[in-house]
Amino acid sequence: MSETSFPVNDLLRRKLQTSLAIISLTLCVASTLFLLLFCQKIGIGITAVVENKLTAGFSTIFTPFLIFIGVLVFVVGAVIASFMVFVMMSQRVRDIGLMKATGCPNELIFGYFMTELLIITLASCFLGVVLGVLADFATTNLLNALGLQASQAPVNFWLIVLVFVIFFVFGLVFGAKPILDTTKVEPAKAISPIYYFGLVKESGFKAVSKSNLTFRIAMRSLFRRKSATVRIVICLSTVFILVTVAVAGGVIANQTTRNWLEKAIGRDVVLIVHQDMRTQYVLLLSKFYEAKEEPPFNYTDEKYLMPEEILNSLNSTPEISIIDTRLMLKAHILEVQNYTINPSTGETMTVGDDREGDAIVVGVKPERTLSEWFLDGHFLGNKQAQEAVIGDSIAQKLFSSPLNQGIKLFNETSAVLDIVGVCIDPINNGNVTYVPLETLQSIVSISKPNIVMIKIDPSANRTEVLSQIRANVSSVNSDFVVFELNEVLDKNLGFLGFIWSTIMFLPLFSLASASLCLIGYVMLAIAEQRQEFGVLRALGAKPRTVVEIVAGQSFIVLLASYAVGIALGVIITLMILIPEPLVTNYTIMEIAGWLLAALLATFIFSLYPAIKFAKKPIREIMYP
Amino acid sequence: MPAEKKVVQASNLCKIYEIGDVKVEAFRDVSFSVENGEFTAIGGPSGCGKTTLLNIVGGIDRPTSGKITVFGEDLNVKDEDFLASFRCHKIGFVFQSYNLVSTLTVAENVAFPMEWARKSEDHIEKRLEELLTTVGLQHRAEHLPSQLSGGEQQRVAFARALANDPPLLLVDEPTGNLDIKTSQKIVQILEKLKSEGKTIIIATHDEQILRLADQKLRFEDGKLVNQIE
Repeated sequence: MSETSFPVNDLLRRKLQTSLAIISLTLCVASTLFLLLFCQKIGIGITAVVENKLTAGFSTIFTPFLIFIGVLVFVVGAVIASFMVFVMMSQRVRDIGLMKATGCPNELIFGYFMTELLIITLASCFLGVVLGVLADFATTNLLNALGLQASQAPVNFWLIVLVFVIFFVFGLVFGAKPILDTTKVEPAKAISPIYYFGLVKESGFKAVSKSNLTFRIAMRSLFRRKSATVRIVICLSTVFILVTVAVAGGVIANQTTRNWLEKAIGRDVVLIVHQDMRTQYVLLLSKFYEAKEEPPFNYTDEKYLMPEEILNSLNSTPEISIIDTRLMLKAHILEVQNYTINPSTGETMTVGDDREGDAIVVGVKPERTLSEWFLDGHFLGNKQAQEAVIGDSIAQKLFSSPLNQGIKLFNETSAVLDIVGVCIDPINNGNVTYVPLETLQSIVSISKPNIVMIKIDPSANRTEVLSQIRANVSSVNSDFVVFELNEVLDKNLGFLGFIWSTIMFLPLFSLASASLCLIGYVMLAIAEQRQEFGVLRALGAKPRTVVEIVAGQSFIVLLASYAVGIALGVIITLMILIPEPLVTNYTIMEIAGWLLAALLATFIFSLYPAIKFAKKPIREIMYP
Repeated sequence: MPAEKKVVQASNLCKIYEIGDVKVEAFRDVSFSVENGEFTAIGGPSGCGKTTLLNIVGGIDRPTSGKITVFGEDLNVKDEDFLASFRCHKIGFVFQSYNLVSTLTVAENVAFPMEWARKSEDHIEKRLEELLTTVGLQHRAEHLPSQLSGGEQQRVAFARALANDPPLLLVDEPTGNLDIKTSQKIVQILEKLKSEGKTIIIATHDEQILRLADQKLRFEDGKLVNQIE
């Protein structure tokens, strides 16, 4: 037996086990690398958020999610690597016993199996890196084909090296332990038909004797194979936490953020503005989903101000339920410091700095606004109040403790407005400030609004009313247009939905790895019970009974892992990752559906070796 | 001799194993019959095909060629589900290496063929007590196989084989792994079964068991020779 050819030949001879180990490790490496590369590509990396797309508020949900999923993917990778090597070695203990019994020294045996481990880990890491890069490449092209901007920059070489090295080390470190343990097993034990590596001799636990026979055998075998059972439960639980965080978290966060977005922009809202202002407004809203250059635009140009006749005409249309008049400008804004008492020392401390920047400033009538923002604090009190509500992005960029600070608009000498709320608003990526219309008008000495938003009574014939409004507006000034905001709202929602569904797609890799692990566990169970299954069949058990016993074990393991994984996943999602989650009955049904599908898919997948085994003739089972 | 008296009828059985490209012949042209209530012993050197022949008679293996009929059923043409049910009701197996289910207690090991035969709980309990008394292991009912000696495990295997009161018992080297004293207990069980009129086919080298046989068959050069009619 050549020292170099034995491990290679051995791996090639055991094709199914070798490919199972390589595929599951490959998927772990690929999913981790893909996750890291993908985050860079779509620009929802931790720092890129505020600069390019979305708003700071949305990024505070996306970022922890991605970090958490990234960490979990690494943990899952480590656990799966460890489990697969454990399964590999558990199936080899008899061979090792025979090698030892015939005089092969421990060092040589350790060398053989470490070489096998090295080959498997190297092959998996290499294939995983290739698959991860290809998946990233395919997703980038898909994103661009869908009209969403994804960076075509070359992949980060050092990221690939990092993932490769980490998983290679994981595989070797976690794999070396069971190899070392197995080589220490006494040869007499190892070749004994009743000894199995990782098997507890007898468990004190006995399933209720009145229970069904197949269930009884399944349960007792699980408890007897304690070491492997605990490992697979840990492995699957971690995967189910990942799946739950991604699926439940993804669904809840998707609905929550969609809700914020829909309420901020407004559903079925009709915009009446000058056509240039319409283009500008849509541009400001579309910055949420694509980074765009903003050409210079003079918001204060008189031609954009709403003619009185149009306002009168709208006021006299009974089918219009709400008229929301706004004055939108671009302004230089300044952070205003405040003072507070340090509760522990009693000393006066300064809050904030003297930062400044540009933002869109919108004057609104607080009592008549169509939008409902997700707010920290409260909305503007009355039409003349010296108050402001600022967008989440400028709150993060320009203020230390916004609700304890003030804001100045345009210049140093203007009056200080108290910040009473921070809102999540997609317009201009959250770089926006809302103030009472009259307050803004008095600051800039512009008496008319330049934007009017209306909502039509749902009981009215929307098409007819819109035609009538269009005609009236056009008759006053043909440069003014009537534009429905639903289209731009849907594009924003579509972008959010795409990001969440992509995040939800990520654990599929891990789920596939977990299924392969479960197959490994089932194969281990079959190998360990092979003789007994043969006896059961010889004494009258039908092939189906063997499948039922194995399926029972697989299902119990899955259910235990599922319960742990889902419970922890839901707690993490709701308590840590999403502030004020929106959970409806539909959300619960949707999440339950996805998670049930994951459970069933994994379960059905795991039955393959049992079904294959049950088809074998009894003689082959009993006398392999 | 009326056909229904024949429990087993084998004609021209041949078994060849294919291991890669190599073909290994276990036996050829094996023909024999076993009548109802007959005690048949099969002898021969190790690896001559005794266990294979028992497996074919029990429907857990199929011959490469030839015909095997057990209780009038041509086993070659039956599917796995039929054979499972057939074994459960008609055949009791005692394996050389006991082959008890390690996760089940003695009582459960004996009871499970009855559970598959869908016997009532009362019947199972009554039969269990009867069988454990027969093999002298009532006190071991709640023990696991790993807590028993080889002889005790073999006696449990007998009790299990008799659970559904099968008309045919196939026994493979029951004393092969046991010392003389323990073997004696197994011989006593076989004597009792013979006196009850059970049809038994047994693969053995044991002289004490061979003495019980009504029919002695022996494998010589891959062929089965009838020693005493």
